[in-house]
Amino acid sequence: MRFLIYVLLVLVAGILTGHFYAPEFGNLYEIMLYLLIMIIGIDLGQSFRLREIRKLGGLAIKLPLSTLLGSLLGGLAASLSLGIELKWGLAIAAGCGWYSLTGPLIAQYSAVYGTLGFLANLTREIFTVLLYPLVIGRIRKELAVSMGGATTMDTTLPIMTKFGGSEVGLIAFIHGFVLTALVPFIVPFILQF
Amino acid sequence: MNIFIPLLVGILIGYILRRKGRKVNADLPMSAALLLLIFFMGVEAGKVEIDALWLLVSSVIFAAMTILGSLGIALIVGGRG
Repeated sequence: MRFLIYVLLVLVAGILTGHFYAPEFGNLYEIMLYLLIMIIGIDLGQSFRLREIRKLGGLAIKLPLSTLLGSLLGGLAASLSLGIELKWGLAIAAGCGWYSLTGPLIAQYSAVYGTLGFLANLTREIFTVLLYPLVIGRIRKELAVSMGGATTMDTTLPIMTKFGGSEVGLIAFIHGFVLTALVPFIVPFILQF
Repeated sequence: MNIFIPLLVGILIGYILRRKGRKVNADLPMSAALLLLIFFMGVEAGKVEIDALWLLVSSVIFAAMTILGSLGIALIVGGRG
């Protein structure tokens, strides 16, 4: 939670700096982005365990894929209702809640949609924390995990484990893990069009 | 540079480290790189005129639609039970 506050403070500080001083950083942004992507890759390479995923059977793959597909459909609907070009809308939606990756990736091409990608995915994470305990009253706990997208392996995992139990905790972790492995490939792929 | 290159290089490094039984804690460098990136992103966003209300409303619509879409397809795939 404290990191989330840092993130928002840094974002506001950046917006104010850009608005009043408009400094130029050259290609420092790109270098930092590639560095972040490489660190994410190292983390993935260190923690990827196929055995854990096999334990859950079909649901381990079906649930994250349905989350991604549903997210893209939601992004399509949001793009159409807001009049945003599909490329941006689908890229924002493909982030599946991973705001720290989606925002900077899209911002390479557009500062406005990068900021929207960041805030939309951050809002998804906040909504998941607030609404998961309510949603499981109407939808099976393990299926409701899909609302958290890629965040279910870290930031929203505690809330899911607390309200869904340890079994849902394992499903949430693997669901988030599979999406975390997919999102860094899907978002840049969409942005290439 | 294509974004996949550093990602695949990172995955390879991570895999090699794991095979060698060494684990690097990526939390701190990731947080530092992330905060810097978000700052730069904010700077770029601050240079252009953005309607704050449009940004807020669009963020909420995107978040709500993506959550509803994901839950909807999960229900179709997993059944209501």
